[in-house]
Amino acid sequence: MAHLTPVQQERFHEQRTRYFRPGFIIQMAALAALVAIPVAFPSFRVMDVVAKIVIFTIVVASYDLILGYTGLLSLGHSMFFGIGAYSLALVIYHAAEPCWYHLLVAAGVALALSIALALIIAFFSLRVKAIFFAMMTLALAEFADILAVQWYDLTRAEDGVSFKLPGIFNLGWSGPTLGGIEINGRLMTYYFILGVSVILFVMMVRFIRSPLGRVLKAVRDNEPRATALGYKAFRYQVFSIVFGSSIASLGGILFAMWLRYVNPGSTLSTPIMLNILLMVIIGGLGTLYGSIIGAAFIKITETWLPDLQKLAEAVFPSMVIVHRLAERWILYFGILFILVVFFFPKGFVGTARDMIRRRKAVAREGP
Amino acid sequence: MAADTGPAVSAGSAGLDARRWGTWIFSVGIWIIPLLWIDVVTYMTLTIAGLTMGALLFLTASGLTLIFGLMDVLNLAHGAFFVWGAYAGFSLLNYLNTVGWVEMASIGPSAGSLVLVLLTALAVGALLGIILEKIIIRRTYGNHLKQILITMGAALVMAEIIKIFWGPNDEVILVPAAFQDSWDLFDIVVNKFRGVAIVVGMAVFAAIQIVLQRTKLGIIVRAGVENREIVQVMGYNIQRIFTGVFAAGAALAAMGGVMFAIFKEQIYPGMGDETLIFALIVVIIGGMGSVAGSFFGALMVGLAFNYVAFLVPKLALGVNIMIMAVILLIRPSGLMGRK
Amino acid sequence: MAEPILSLKEVHTYIGQHHILQGVSLDVNAERATVLVGRNGAGKSTTLRTIMGLYPARSGRIELDGQAIQHRKPFDIARLGIGFVPEDRAVLYTLTVEENFRLAMFRESEEGRRRLESVFQLFPDLKRFLHAKAGILSGGQKQMLAIALALVLDHRVVLIDEPSKGLAPVVVEHLGESLNRIRDTTTVVLVEQNFYLASQVGQDYFILDDGRVAHQGLMEDLVTDHELKQKYLGIG
Repeated sequence: MAHLTPVQQERFHEQRTRYFRPGFIIQMAALAALVAIPVAFPSFRVMDVVAKIVIFTIVVASYDLILGYTGLLSLGHSMFFGIGAYSLALVIYHAAEPCWYHLLVAAGVALALSIALALIIAFFSLRVKAIFFAMMTLALAEFADILAVQWYDLTRAEDGVSFKLPGIFNLGWSGPTLGGIEINGRLMTYYFILGVSVILFVMMVRFIRSPLGRVLKAVRDNEPRATALGYKAFRYQVFSIVFGSSIASLGGILFAMWLRYVNPGSTLSTPIMLNILLMVIIGGLGTLYGSIIGAAFIKITETWLPDLQKLAEAVFPSMVIVHRLAERWILYFGILFILVVFFFPKGFVGTARDMIRRRKAVAREGP
Repeated sequence: MAADTGPAVSAGSAGLDARRWGTWIFSVGIWIIPLLWIDVVTYMTLTIAGLTMGALLFLTASGLTLIFGLMDVLNLAHGAFFVWGAYAGFSLLNYLNTVGWVEMASIGPSAGSLVLVLLTALAVGALLGIILEKIIIRRTYGNHLKQILITMGAALVMAEIIKIFWGPNDEVILVPAAFQDSWDLFDIVVNKFRGVAIVVGMAVFAAIQIVLQRTKLGIIVRAGVENREIVQVMGYNIQRIFTGVFAAGAALAAMGGVMFAIFKEQIYPGMGDETLIFALIVVIIGGMGSVAGSFFGALMVGLAFNYVAFLVPKLALGVNIMIMAVILLIRPSGLMGRK
Repeated sequence: MAEPILSLKEVHTYIGQHHILQGVSLDVNAERATVLVGRNGAGKSTTLRTIMGLYPARSGRIELDGQAIQHRKPFDIARLGIGFVPEDRAVLYTLTVEENFRLAMFRESEEGRRRLESVFQLFPDLKRFLHAKAGILSGGQKQMLAIALALVLDHRVVLIDEPSKGLAPVVVEHLGESLNRIRDTTTVVLVEQNFYLASQVGQDYFILDDGRVAHQGLMEDLVTDHELKQKYLGIG
């Protein structure tokens, strides 16, 4: 073998050990756990939370692509999520009988709309400074929310759209019983969502690691420098916005599949955007895997905190102020958010990576 | 800090003038075009409503534009000041009701209640502003992303605290009796409180302009908006000025909030968020850092909203976003902002 | 010679990651004009801004009349008696000339008004344009105003950063004369690329190179030292 450069040696070593490193093992373990959950915990609630975590991981990771890796603060991400959700809902709603190809049609519609909107947004991001961009996307998202709420004929407004899924995903469908577990529509939907999400996630990870992704990071860190090196920053930013927004809308389709009901409040509204922000910050900006942590943390607390509230009511039945305090778990989220932004701006995974890197550097330097 | 509306300051600016005139023509057009479709009487009613909304929006937007212009801080918690001012006024009005001030139809107690309510809102806003600035805002100087995130969080927290003390539901707010009816001018019905609101809005605008243009403090603030460093090296404690301006902006928003609540006769914790969007639009249209710009921008937004609400109701909420988009395309620094 | 009015001892300043001042030590004597010369990027402006507190000194000591000021805020340092005329945008364009002066006069006083009158004698144009927005002044007039703003208060030391930048030669000449009239009553520290102006006004010099003081002495000696000028300033 010819004499390798240090970089090549490092890469070679990396490739050889890539199935044995702790990171990979953890990833496989997590995947196995996700597959096993519906089997291990027959409760609907658990499967519901996990499905939502998986879906939001994708949405949050796609947001991290735009914010963390490209450095563009868009406050309109929830809009793409909503577009995906509504595409599926309305396509099936207006069809006589739900068929599996409706999923593809919905995906097509959602992607077309998202790409078009993303291109418009990307165009604006070039013309205006960062703060204006943030406000414009915020205004646009609000506009979409208002539209959804007001335009009854199209979106059924606050009533929302209820629909059934086709074929094996339909709740009514039941298949054979394997090893004591009944395979039904819900289970199939879960695995479908899991499968698609894993694929999307891997796509995003590969994108980040690709040369294209590295240029993005260069542009984020030092745009004038990247431009001086010959990279047209704008093109990469546009691609990133379009890519991230498209994935978010696909996430919306998955979400609609799971809930079989969409309304503005659960898909387009500002609280959804805030949730996404919170998740990406907690997980860590610029770390795709952080979105898993962020999504998991928020969804788990969201689901089981109301139980805590009931507990508080049971223990202090007469003190109204305690009730009100317990009800306001959004308040605690808000405070948590502020604290995280101040003290852990790199989020969970980001801070962890920093610590590991520091320990490695110390080890390398030696005594 | 409002650049003069005459020739631009920098040399060789024919292009700049054209854009600026373009935005002004566009803005004035908004006032006049609706006459094509609306009869004069309805037009006047809508205009009054629009001017009222504009005046109230101005109160909120002026604080936001000053804070951004001077401190380069993007404060998304501004809506929280708005809503806290409203609730403070709400409680005060309830109390004043118990001593009979609100019900009396004579101008004295009603005007007195209003003044007290405004002063309370001002105090609450200023206090909250000082607290927020000292605890949170000053740690985020220079970092827009952090500012946006933290002020969003702060807004959330402040809205939730309101729900703890006042409950999460809509409430009806009392209107001082003397302002409840309307005047009848040439067939145009003008709700009295609307007139009051417009007067208050213009008075505040005048007051701000006097302070900015004729006092030493105003000179310092305008200088700081243009160039923070020079003000510092001339011996002024810019941090204290920041805190003061932030508190003033919050106080203005709070006053806007309580007036708005009385105008709508309704109060609910989510008021702040909706108004914040409008205020942001106004600030962008008017130009960041220009109080005069936010005054005209606010009037424009208020009028546009009311005209379109009458003509094409579904479009009403969206029309201002469209105006903002157009202005951003023609002249991103707004009507009276500096390039 | 008496104690220096302003002294820097081993001052290090970082801007971000970059180590700009790598141990600057210099003494400024009262009622004399001291010039900092050197190539671009040597650290001259950074030195002035560090003295003024606009950049925090990572280490070292800065003393004004024996009093340590290296950790103070700019407004504090200004109030202690150091005036600063920045390199760019030293004047507020959207304010009128009069408002600029009002701003500069921290406290309005009788003495202040007298100083203003003498400033107007030095720069009569400024009186003519008193109510005009400073932005419409010519480049030279803006620079005059910038220096005038620093003179309106009784500063002990005035730091001036490249006043001749972008000015026509005849204007630079006038600038030099004005600065010469000031240096008898006020200590001036001047950063200047234009060697002609530097040599006209300056009495003591410090050559900065790579963030350190490479050479120092009396200006009259530097003018004739072609070797030094060639080596550190690329001229002569």
